[in-house]
Amino acid sequence: MPILNSVYRHREAGHVLTDVAAYREAGGFDALHTALGDMEPDDLLYVFHRSGLRGRGGAGFPMGRKASFLPKDAKLAKYVVCNADESEPGTFKDREIIQMNPFQLIEGIVLAGYAIGAERGYIYIRGEYEFQARILQAAIAAARDAGFLGTDIARSGFTFDITLYRGAGAYICGEETGLLESLEGKRGQPRLKPPFPAVAGLYSSPTLINNVETLSALPPIVTRGADWYAALGPEKSPGSKIFSVSGHVTRPGNYEIILGQTTLRELIFEHAGGVRDGRRVKAIWVGGSSVPVLGEQHLDTPLDYESLNAVGTFLGSGGCIVMDDSGCIVRSTLRLASFYKHESCGKCTPCREGTTWMERILQRIVDGEGRMEDLQLLESIFGRISGKVLCALAEGAVAPISSAIKLFREDFVAAIEQGGALRPEPMWPEAPAEAR
Amino acid sequence: MTADQIRAHIDPIRHEFAEPRSLVLPALKFAQTEKGHLTREDLEAVSAATGFSAAFVESVASFYDRLYLEPTGTRVVSVCVTLSCMLRGADEVWERLCDREGVSHHGGTTGDGRITIQEAQCLGYCDRAPCIQVDADETVGPMTPESAGQLVDDLRVAPAPDEFWR
Ligand SMILES: Cc1cc2nc3c(=O)[nH]c(=O)nc-3n(C[C@H](O)[C@H](O)[C@H](O)COP(=O)(O)O)c2cc1C
Ligand code: SF4
Ligand code: FES
Repeated sequence: MPILNSVYRHREAGHVLTDVAAYREAGGFDALHTALGDMEPDDLLYVFHRSGLRGRGGAGFPMGRKASFLPKDAKLAKYVVCNADESEPGTFKDREIIQMNPFQLIEGIVLAGYAIGAERGYIYIRGEYEFQARILQAAIAAARDAGFLGTDIARSGFTFDITLYRGAGAYICGEETGLLESLEGKRGQPRLKPPFPAVAGLYSSPTLINNVETLSALPPIVTRGADWYAALGPEKSPGSKIFSVSGHVTRPGNYEIILGQTTLRELIFEHAGGVRDGRRVKAIWVGGSSVPVLGEQHLDTPLDYESLNAVGTFLGSGGCIVMDDSGCIVRSTLRLASFYKHESCGKCTPCREGTTWMERILQRIVDGEGRMEDLQLLESIFGRISGKVLCALAEGAVAPISSAIKLFREDFVAAIEQGGALRPEPMWPEAPAEAR
Repeated sequence: MTADQIRAHIDPIRHEFAEPRSLVLPALKFAQTEKGHLTREDLEAVSAATGFSAAFVESVASFYDRLYLEPTGTRVVSVCVTLSCMLRGADEVWERLCDREGVSHHGGTTGDGRITIQEAQCLGYCDRAPCIQVDADETVGPMTPESAGQLVDDLRVAPAPDEFWR
C-alpha cells in the first residue's frame, strides 16, 4: 500500500525498488544530479543541517552537525561509513530498507560522501544478513554500471565508490568504534573516545558514521528541500521514523510515523494491531532493548525524542518490543541481561563482570533462590558500571534492568517471596508458517 | 583452504582498503566456506595470504560468533532466543528441538554429525518471531516446535551446500 509523504521511496511507491530503472522512475538519483550538478559540498552540508535530521541508529545525534565536525582539509582522506549492523534486539527496519530499496541508501551515501569530500564509503553489514548483503552487492554493481558510482559520477567530475563489508556475528560491532576496529580487520572492541570518528576514524582518517535509515533520508531531503523535512514533526525531532514493533502484538512489523504526531498507543494499537483481546499492555521497550522500560501508564506519550526523554526513556533505534500482561517482567529482564552478558566484548572489567553478575542474580531470582538483598545488590552493580566503561553497551545493559526493578518492583519482590517466577505460555503466532 | 585460493579471493578487493589488515576478516569468512569451520591450516593460510601472523589471525577469528574454530555439523541451525522471540515461543522451539535431536539444552551437534543447534541473539527478524536461521541463509519464521523439527528433517536429506556461508 503506497504511503503518502513517506521519506522512503519504496513505501511511497508501494512496491520494491530493487532495480535502477524502477528507482529512477520513483524519483531516484534526482538528488544526486541536483547536488553534484548545482551545489557546492558546503551548501549540501547546510541542507542536511537545516533539515534537522537526527541519527536513527540509537543516539539521535544531529546528522548535519556530525558531518560538519569533519575537518575541511582537502588533502586528508575521508570516509563515509554506513552502519548496517542492525543487531539491537527488536530492530529490523534497516533490513527493510536494504531489501526493498537499496538504491536510496546508496544515493544517500554518495550524497554524504560529496558533502564531506570523501572518495570511498563502506557499508558494514552484520554477518547474519548475508541475504541482504547479496542484494546490496548487486545494487552497488548496478549503480556502478549506471554511472552513479565510480569515476565522474553523473558527469560531475566527482569520484566515489562503495565497499560492502560483512561482519561475522558480534553485537558490539554496531557500536561505531567497535565497527571501525572490525572494519580494520581486528577484534571489534570499542576505542576510547575522544578522538571521535569525525576526527580520527577509519585508518585514523576523518570518518562520518551513520545508520542506514539516517543516510537513506538524505535523497528526499535534497529533492524536496530541508524545509519540507524540518516541517514534518516537532522542531527538535523532525522527520519520520520507522518503528519496528514486535512481541505481544497481533501485527508485528515496521511502521513509519511522523515524529511527534503519533502516540505510543496509536503505534501499538492502530498500526501494530494491539495486544490480544482481553489482554493489557504491561511493558514496552520502545527504542530497542537498551532503553528504560515503560509501562501501560506511558501509552499516551507522543513518539519523538523529547517526549520519550520526558518519561525517562529513549527513542533509540525504534525497535519497540511489547509485552502484555501474560508475560513475566522478571523473566524478560533476565533474558535481556543474558543478551548483554553474551555480547559484552570483555574489554572493561565493570561491564564484563557486571553483566555476568546481573545475569546470575536475576537467574537465581527466577529460579526461586533469590533473596531480598539481591535487589540492593543489583542496584549497587548499576552504580559500579555507569560512567566507568568505554562504550554505551554497558549503560544499555543497565537501563532495562534498573528501570524494570523501579517500575515493576512488586513483581521482583513476588518472585523472591514466592519461590521464583512462573514461566508463562508464549503468544504463539496465529497461523504458523510452513517450515520453509 | 590454500593461501593461493584465499589470495585469489582477496586480491581483487585489495585496492578498496587503505590498510591490508582489513582483508583479514573477508579472508577468514572466505576460508571458512570450504569446510564450514576454520582449521589450524586455514588460519595459517589466511596468515600467509594477508601477511599477518597466525596468532593475530586466530585472535580475530575467536572474537566472532559466526567464525567456528571447532568442527560443526554439516548445517548450523541458529534459534533466536532474544526477547521478542522468547515472547513468541522461542524457548519452547529451542527445548523441543534440542530434545528431539538429542542434544543438551545448551545446544550441540547431533549424533550423526549432520546438524549443529545453537542459540542465537536477535537475528533482526522479530516480526517473524520465533525465528531460525540455517547457516547464513535467509532467516525463517514464525516457527513452531513442529515446523522446526520438520526444517531439520529437510536439512538432513538436502545435499550439503557447495560453500558454507555461515
Ligand atoms: C552496543 C551498541 C550497539 C550499537 N549498534 C548499532 C547498530 O546496530 N546500528 C546502528 O546504526 N547504530 C548502532 N549503535 C550506535 C552507533 O554507535 C552510532 O551511534 C550510530 O551508528 C551513528 O549513526 P546515526 O547517527 O545515524 O544514528 C550502537 C551503539 C552501541 C553502544
Ligand atoms: S563497555 Fe562493555 S562492550 Fe563496551 S568496550 Fe567496555 S567491555 Fe566492551
Ligand atoms: S528477538 Fe529474535 S529476531 Fe529479534
